[in-house]
Amino acid sequence: MEISNILTADFIYNLARGPLVWISLLICIIGSVARTLQLISYTRVKEIDTKADFSSIGKKPPAKKFSVKDIPGHIAALKNTILAISPVTILVSLCFHLCLIIVPVFLLAHNMLIDDAIGFSLFSFSETFSDVFTIVFLICGLFFLFRRIFLARVRAITTLYDYVVLLITVAPFLTGFLAYYQIFDYKTVIILHMLAGELMLIAIPFTKIFHMFFFFVGRFMLVNQHTIGNGSRTW
Amino acid sequence: MTEQKAAVDVEEVKRMLDKHKAKMKLSLSLCAHCSLCAESCFLFNSHDNDPKYMPSYKFINSIGKIYKKKGKVDQAMLEEVAVNAWKRCVLCTRCYCPFGIDIPSMIALARSICRSQGVYPQYDE
Repeated sequence: MEISNILTADFIYNLARGPLVWISLLICIIGSVARTLQLISYTRVKEIDTKADFSSIGKKPPAKKFSVKDIPGHIAALKNTILAISPVTILVSLCFHLCLIIVPVFLLAHNMLIDDAIGFSLFSFSETFSDVFTIVFLICGLFFLFRRIFLARVRAITTLYDYVVLLITVAPFLTGFLAYYQIFDYKTVIILHMLAGELMLIAIPFTKIFHMFFFFVGRFMLVNQHTIGNGSRTW
Repeated sequence: MTEQKAAVDVEEVKRMLDKHKAKMKLSLSLCAHCSLCAESCFLFNSHDNDPKYMPSYKFINSIGKIYKKKGKVDQAMLEEVAVNAWKRCVLCTRCYCPFGIDIPSMIALARSICRSQGVYPQYDE
């Protein structure tokens, strides 16, 4: 039998709709957990030098109780943060990452398929809602692309890999959007959509996208100048 | 800027890299190249926002370069690295990375590697 006979559109469709979803999801979950544990294993609990008292150095003052009077002060303190320095990028980035999680997890069509498969699913947002958020996501993705191309400082450190990662992230949303509106051949687009989604899931633990987990370890667990809360570990 | 030495001891460079491999590899591979660290560097601000003074640019082009070559570097490359590690950075440790990548320690490691091979700035020049 020739390969072209086996690799029909129906075969790829069924493969991508069935086993590949579970395989990629498993790779994503196991890979992410393993890499996060590996990351934590590189760090150790920070030892406190009991002989010398350096306790006052580098320690933040004890947290004050929240008071309404302090609100202007808190707002003023924001002027030294990246939110005040590049507000557009931060807001776009926030929208991008929120949509990235919210849209696929709470999409009606996804939840219907999950319900079919395991008889249980999360609640879904309306299709209009998901639609708007997909468009917002795509615009944010476009913003990042233009930023990479036109901003000298980003261009200075950009490699081909950055574009590939951006493409891996945006592709499932773009193809999903095209499939929903049945632009181009539906069957081809939906197959591309499923494959793109699965590729993204597999890519999470092994590419730059792993920053979604590194962020929490780097900012919350490791002690450094910009730790959020009281970190307890060091490299 | 540098003192000349016959050849680079590749084994020594490799040994120094391996000691901090995990942290360095993760930092280099997870830097999203977002450039949000730029404004936290006072040298970036005082050099007309020249991207070459961006913390991420400096750590990618110092320790990143050495790591990419897996330690197989030559004198000329170390001298290039030294420009990024010394002339463009004073290790004030004020740079801010949204992910918490420890940029100063990466640059400090690049300095150590350069210094171990006799490449360092001469301040009386």
